[in-house]
Formats: sequence, C-alpha cells, structure tokens
Amino acid sequence: MTAEETLQQAQKIIEPFVVEMRSPESSRLDGIVSPQNLIPALQALKDAHWGYLSAITGLDYPPSEGEEGHLEALYHLVMDGAVLTVRVKVPYSRPELESVCQVYPAASLYERELMEMFGFILKGTPSTDRLLLSDDWPQGVYPLRKSFQSGKVQEESL
Amino acid sequence: MTSERKFIVPIGPQHPALKEPGHFEFTVDGEIVTDASVRLGYVHRGIEKGAEERSYIQDLYLFERICGICSHVHATAFALGVERLAGVEAPLRAQAIRSLVAEMERIHSHMLWLGVAAHEGGFDTLFMYSWRDREIVMDLLEAFTGNRVNYSVNLLGGVKCDVNESLRDQILRGMDQLEKRIQHYLNVVTTDRTFLARTEGVGRMTREQADLFGAVGPTARASGVPRDVRVDAPYAYYSTVPVRLITDERGDLLARFVVRINELFEAIRVIREILDHLPEGELTARMPRRIPAGETISRVEAPRGELFYFVKSNGGEKPERVKVRTPSLCNWGSVMQVAVGHKLADMPMILAGIDPCFSCNDRMVQLKRKDSQQWMSWEDLRQYGIEYYKKVL
Repeated sequence: MTAEETLQQAQKIIEPFVVEMRSPESSRLDGIVSPQNLIPALQALKDAHWGYLSAITGLDYPPSEGEEGHLEALYHLVMDGAVLTVRVKVPYSRPELESVCQVYPAASLYERELMEMFGFILKGTPSTDRLLLSDDWPQGVYPLRKSFQSGKVQEESL
Repeated sequence: MTSERKFIVPIGPQHPALKEPGHFEFTVDGEIVTDASVRLGYVHRGIEKGAEERSYIQDLYLFERICGICSHVHATAFALGVERLAGVEAPLRAQAIRSLVAEMERIHSHMLWLGVAAHEGGFDTLFMYSWRDREIVMDLLEAFTGNRVNYSVNLLGGVKCDVNESLRDQILRGMDQLEKRIQHYLNVVTTDRTFLARTEGVGRMTREQADLFGAVGPTARASGVPRDVRVDAPYAYYSTVPVRLITDERGDLLARFVVRINELFEAIRVIREILDHLPEGELTARMPRRIPAGETISRVEAPRGELFYFVKSNGGEKPERVKVRTPSLCNWGSVMQVAVGHKLADMPMILAGIDPCFSCNDRMVQLKRKDSQQWMSWEDLRQYGIEYYKKVL
C-alpha cells in the first residue's frame, strides 16, 4: 500500500473528530482536533490498528498583541511510510489535555517530557515525576517555552 | 503473612547496566520484579532549546553531538529535513555516501552493543573480541572522514567526504574480514550453552506488546514487528539499494542478538552494493541561508531504531522548533513493561538488550552554585573550567 492510500484510510477514521485536515506533504496528513476529541480520535485509530504513536511534539505560541499564548501538542502516528499528525491547541490559562496513556500506555515518557518542558497539564497520566529535568528545577519554569532563554537567569514563577 | 511494604531495588544512576547514567527502580517480591520505573536526564544538555538559538548550519553540528555512537544518522535526519523545507535535493553521490556511512556506523554500533551485552551476560571474552574487531570499521570510518566519532560527513545540501579507489578497496577488504568474524559471533551466541541460558526465553516481548508499546528498531524486529524506516519510507540512497528486512519471531534476548548480528551481514551487503554502484557527480547542492517557512518530519533508521525529527521553520536563519525523538526513548517504554515478572538478576541483560543510549534521550543541564541563587551561564561554566584546570595543572 502506498503512503497516500494509507493516509486515505486514516482520513476516513478521523474524519468525524477533526475540525480541519490538511496534507502538507504527500506522505503526511495533519488533523486538527479540539481537546475533547483527542482521545476519541486516537482510540478510533487504535481500534482500526492504524499505526503506532511515534512521538509527541510540543509547540509554544507566545502571547502577541493582546492575544493569549497557546500551547500545541502534536501526536505523530506512523504507519509504514505515512505520518499522521493529530494536533490539538490549548490556551496558557487552561493547558489541560486528557492523558493518552489510556490508549497508548508507552506514551507516559513522552507525556512526562511534555509536562516539564511546556507546562501542559495532562489529566490521568500515570506519572507526573520529572523525567529529564533535575528534581530541584524551579516550579513553573518551562524550558521549551519561547519565554525561556538559555544562559539567562530565570525568574521563578509562582 | 504477606506484608504491605514494598521492597524497592534502585539501580543507577551510576552505570546501571552499561557505562552511562540512568536510574531505575525495581519493586521486587523476592527475586521477581513486580514494578519498574525509569528516571532519565542525567546527561540532558538542552539541545532542542539550543537549536532554536542557533543557525541551521550550527545546528547540524549540534545535532551530530546528540549521540557519539549514532552521530551520523542524527545529522542525516536533520539535513534531509532542512533540505526538504528548502526544496533542495542533495546530489545522488552525496545520498549514496550518506547511506554508506550510515551502514558503516550501524556495524560499529551493533558490534559495540554485542560487546556490552556479552559483558552484561558475564561473557567477557566475547566482549573483548567483538570490540577488537570493531576497530576494523572504526579505522575505516577514520580513514574515510578523519574522525572516529562525530564523523561530520553531512552538510546541508550534500556531504563533504568522497570515496576514492584506494579507500574503496580498503573498505571492501575490511568488510571481507568482518564478515568472517561476524559469522563466528553468530555461531557463538546461538550455540554457547552458558550464554544461551542467559538469553533464551529471557525478556520475551510478544509481537502484540512490541506493537502496543511502540518499540522500534532491532528490539521491535526481534519480536516479529516488520518496522524499518529504510524499508517503509526509503531515504538517502535506500530506494536505489534496498535493504532486506530482518525479523525474528521469538522476541527474547536471543532473538535480539540474532537480529542485530544478521543486520551486520545485511549492512556489509549494502556497503558492497553501494560501492559497486557509486554514482558519479557533485557532492553538494546550493542551499539558501534562510529556510522557507514550513514544517517537516524527517525519519531515519538509526542503529537502535526509528529516529524522528520534526523541524519547523519560520522563514529565518534559525529554526522555530526542532523536536528530536530518539529510538531509545520508545524502547524504554516497552522494556519497563516487559521487565515485570522477570528475575532481578536478569535486569542488566534486559536493559542492555534494547541497546539503550542515554545521550540520545537526555538532552539539558543547568548548574547553580551552592552559595548563589544564579544559574551558571555558558560563559560562567567556561570560566569555571579554565580556572579549575589552572589550579590543577
């Protein structure tokens, strides 16, 4: 099966859950979902045995021109040569998502990284322990947010 | 009478199984492991953040330094991603050389692992021999690129090392020599009784488990999961010189040995084929300094499995975001689940069985002086190093 055909399958599965879909490259499909549709979309993919969770990318959109900052989580699912990215965006004030560990148990490590690096709150995740940062890393400082600049003294936020 | 109290055996963070830092906590009931957890980050260096603050060209060198063992695949994944964003394709000869070095790197990495894993099993003779023979490919890599580690072959838009006739002959001779030795190792690990007792049926991961936990690379293939980026989505020169997928259905430690050793034969075959059909032509294509805005995903097969790069450009000279997901991280998730139910004494072998690479999954360090509230900056650290060595010397 070619990557395009594989992605057509994926498109059918996630169609009911997505707000918007786009195909940035021939072997890729991006599906944008709202936070409450994240788990149903991933569950549907898993039930159909479509691919495995390869990585989760966090993106930071800092506040600009009076608009609130946002965080985006990208769930990359891979099947053979095709990559489906399920994207979900949450505001700084409520950076909450359901943990995807109920669907993909091995996501725990990725979620720990997402929480400590970006400040996502993942409800129902099995472990909120630090994975990569040191135990005495200040609370509320998220190194992969754009506001964090390495080499500068960081303000501890309360 | 059963007790509610749990007995936890900490392993690490110093040298838990191999000579790298990681911390594991195994909850045991007698000799049997009932729960396992992992803590990483002891060699985290903040490379993803660092990449956002540097230009694409600087980043190429930065990513190459994520891992000293599989440095070449990191640079290849990044270069391929950035080239795709820029709409530039590296010349065929450059692609062939990328694949060639990647396979040589795979040989060195698998042989390094073979030695480490043998050592964990108490088979130090095999450890010494496999590392001695690994020097053959290390010498070839040095002759080829000038470096034993961090070969620095890639450029954005191509490569900077070329193969001439004498180097070609040298590599082919080395491969002949290695092939004989690898056959010997395959015989040893599949027939030595004491060694089989440590590997056969130990750490078994079923195909369903490997699939569910998202295992990648030889760890997944040893459980019968047909997953190899070189086959599924050929990059560099793998569409011209295809790789045969090597799997094993058994899913135990022995299978992981057999799969990796068979991959060594396959790597040798691919190296010979590339050298036989090396296309003529340029080594580099012109790359723009500013990379057009966009996002791309670049996947390559590192010695340990699928290496995943997500590159986002904002149209400038520095990337907006680069996400690196290394194969060891996937395999940790799977091995921690598989560990449950096994004997504590088998843990070092099971841990080493996935060929973990800590540098891969750890990428930041921040230091604070005891007497101060300030984080040490790069300049502070550099100054500290200079003063420290002034005192010592």
